[in-house]
Amino acid sequence: MATSYYERRRAEEMEDPEFRAEYERARSEIAQVDAIMRQLDTLREASGYSKAELARLIGRNPSTVRRLFTAEVNPELKTVAALASALGARLEIVASPSTPAESRRRSARSVA
Amino acid sequence: MTPPAAWTVVFYKAADGAVPVDDFLRGCPVKIRARLMAILDAVAEAPPPQFSGGGQWEAMHGDMGGYFEVRTQGPKREQFRLFCLLENAEPAELRRRGLAEPSIAVVAGMRKPWMTVFTRTDYLRVRAMGDDYLGTMPRRIAT
Repeated sequence: MATSYYERRRAEEMEDPEFRAEYERARSEIAQVDAIMRQLDTLREASGYSKAELARLIGRNPSTVRRLFTAEVNPELKTVAALASALGARLEIVASPSTPAESRRRSARSVA
Repeated sequence: MTPPAAWTVVFYKAADGAVPVDDFLRGCPVKIRARLMAILDAVAEAPPPQFSGGGQWEAMHGDMGGYFEVRTQGPKREQFRLFCLLENAEPAELRRRGLAEPSIAVVAGMRKPWMTVFTRTDYLRVRAMGDDYLGTMPRRIAT
């Protein structure tokens, strides 16, 4: 049950299908970025690197990497890729069958 | 390590009863409103020091040190921002502040065209609201 002012406000907005659709889309995008950054931090911890050591490995300022892992700055893709590489991992895009791009491809194939 | 429990989101209320961030949000396009609230919710559900907010939640610096901003972009790259303070303390202190749990206090919102900057006066206005919020015990929030 919505109790706080903010929760009531959000519940009121959710009545609008346009708001709900955009909210859910945004949450999905945010969750993906957050998951990548948290996975990198988990890998870093498992590897035994401090944030400063990891920064040195990729030739960045330790404060840059520290701030990156605590969401104080927007992660740049090239930095994320460098971190992944330094931790022995790689970034990968996995197609989801439910994505709009896949739906479009399926429609195009069925028309052709 | 157990992740910190979710925080709540509160809106600052001015002495005259106005809720500036609510007024700001109602003036935003619906999709922008949805994105801004999605970012707030993501951060509240996975609060600092975890990475959260999809890169659209950032610490501010300089004159705005101590504030965090929610950032998103609209049509014609118009920039939309929410300015927030973090309320995290021992339970007794939070109770003294009138807060049930650690919170993201959203003080104000502003928008600006692409490739322009907010003026010092704009930021001073936000800071004045933030100072009013922090100077009030218990905190004055929309309920």
